[in-house]
Order: sequence, then C-alpha cells, then structure tokens
Amino acid sequence: MPHDTIELTTPVGRDWDPVVRLVLGGIADRLNLGFEELDDLQLAVERLLLEAGSQDSVTLAFDVSENGVRTRIGPLRAGALAEALQGPPPPPGELTLRRILETVVDSFGVEQVAEDGQLIVRLEKVVRGG
Amino acid sequence: MASAPTSQMDDRELLRRYHQQGDRSARELLVQRHLPLVRALARRYAGRGESLEDIEQVGAIGLIKAIDRYELSREVALTTYATPNVVGEIKRHFRDKGWAIRIPRGLQELNAKMSSTIERLTAKLGHSPSIAEIAQELQTTPEQVLEAMEAGSAYAPVSLSAGPSGEGELDPMETIGTEDSNFERTEQRASLEPALELLPDREREILRMRFEDGLTQTQIAEQVGVSQMHVSRLIRKSLARMRAELS
Repeated sequence: MPHDTIELTTPVGRDWDPVVRLVLGGIADRLNLGFEELDDLQLAVERLLLEAGSQDSVTLAFDVSENGVRTRIGPLRAGALAEALQGPPPPPGELTLRRILETVVDSFGVEQVAEDGQLIVRLEKVVRGG
Repeated sequence: MASAPTSQMDDRELLRRYHQQGDRSARELLVQRHLPLVRALARRYAGRGESLEDIEQVGAIGLIKAIDRYELSREVALTTYATPNVVGEIKRHFRDKGWAIRIPRGLQELNAKMSSTIERLTAKLGHSPSIAEIAQELQTTPEQVLEAMEAGSAYAPVSLSAGPSGEGELDPMETIGTEDSNFERTEQRASLEPALELLPDREREILRMRFEDGLTQTQIAEQVGVSQMHVSRLIRKSLARMRAELS
C-alpha cells in the first residue's frame, strides 16, 4: 500500500465533528482498523479539536500507510495545550488530556510550533493484525 | 416471631417497608423483582432506532418513579400501577430525547442493529470488527455502516444510573451542559478529578477502567454488562459532562 496523504481543512466546532469522523471512518475502513480503534482515534481528534477553542479553522493531515495513520492537527492554540501534552506525566488517578491521549492512541506529541506560537499536534495509530 | 426475609416478602410489604420505614433495600428488591416487566415492555419499542438496553434503562427509571409514587392506600398491584409509568417514561424518552436531527429510518434501523452485530462479531473473530466486517455481516456497504455510526451520534444516550432526581441522587435524564469554547489554561493542565466525583458511580468506574486500568471498551462492556457501543457513548458523555463542569 503506498503512502497516501489526505488533508482536510474544516471550521472548528461541534457542528463539524461529523465531517471529521466520517473522514476518519473512511481511513479506518481503508486500513481495516477495528471499530474500537476507530472510536479511539475519533475520540482523540475530537478532544484535541475541543481544545482548539474559539479559533476559526483547523487543518487535519492524515498520512496513511500500511502501518497505520499519522494525523497532524493544527494550528492549535499553544500555551496550555503544550504544557498539557509535554509536561510531566499525570499522577495515577488523574484524568487529564494527556492521560486520555495515552490511552487512545499509540503515540502523540507536539510536532511543530509555528512562528506565531501555535502548535501542530501529531497522533499516531498503528495497524495491528486481526 | 422473626419476620420473613425481605426476599420472601410480597410487593405490598416491601412497599410498606420502603415508604413507612425508609428501607431502601426494599426498594432495590422491588426494582430487581420487576425488571423483567420493564424488559418485556421495552422490547415493544425495539427497532425504532435505539438499542434495547437503552430503552430498558429508560423503562427502569419509570419503574423507580412508580415505586416512589405508589400510595399504600391504593388497592392496586404494583405491576398494574407501574406498567403505564414505564411505558410513559419510554414514550417520553422517544419524544424528548430521541433523534436530535431527522435521520432516515433505514439508517436508524441499521444503527440499532450495529450494537449487537459488533458484539457478535467481536466474540466470533476475537477482535474488534472492522467496518468492512460489520458491513459484510449486515449485508450492506462500509459507507452505510459509517453513516449509521454517525447517525447514532445524533441520538442522546441515557445514563446507566437509573435513580430519581433529588435526595442527592443523580437524575439520569439531566442534561450534560453545554460546551464552553474557552478552555482555560489551568483547566487543561489540571486533573478532571473534581468533576469526576460528580459522575454517577458506574460511569466513574467505566472511566477508571478505561483510562486508569487500560481496559478496552469490549472488556469494560463484558464487566459492566452493556454493549461496547454503549460504553463508547458513555465515555464520551462522561468526558463532555466533566469538561462542562470545569468550564
């Protein structure tokens, strides 16, 4: 399977979440991801978009290969989000954004900080054999 | 003479103990005893775009309300009194909490079938089924499956906790609040722990199993006794509610 990229620029807001979920669903179907893996990935992206707050739009770039899907989301407001993702691990029992992402994706991180301080966040989901 | 164990008491005696002595174990026993009635009534409303277990949860609320409102002076059996309450609660749910947007009936029905299909396939295949596997099982296309999944998100699920409002108990029908687009710095960094305490016990336990113990939705579904899709919806709902509380 070749390495493909799908890019989606969408307004930010709950009304647009279905568009993102459907794109993720199509990618999951292409990769033969399990229903739960798709659900996890959708949850991760939804949570991050929620953190995007009041900004107008965001671009999601999906790099799809036979190994899985790498999703880049941005630009997102920096500051608290960077701390939430890059700070020390949360203590046991604390339910933070970082804890949620650690659970639902295989890896994540801040991939790029734009000049204006905004972030690109990377999420990776690996294909596992059924 | 020692009194009979509560499990052997008839409905009327249990109602008396609950209403006159405040014996909540009597109320709990009445609920357990009449859940088969709720299930039977709920089945009448299956196939209308919501999973049977969701309808049963709503019906259970009607049962609890009937027990709470029952007047001991009535010369009527609890089952007779409870039936219209359960049916009324289910009908009200369909009217008030039903499909938030108009979804084609075919997609509603497909969505209703998906929960049991996913469970069946998970058991058969030993892993969470892919979209293609679900589509094949339902004799439809992957696109239709994805649309049906999305249609499901237009439905408002109910809580697992079927308790009445008031008396410190959480009303399962209460709304989860609105999303605030401005998520403050401290809230992002801080734990959601304080808001976690506001969730019903069972939903808090589901979040703990998922995000602390690392159980999959399927594993949680097995332990809690609901479908994996229901676990998924409850996780989303709980996280949204916690976030709304912190905003």
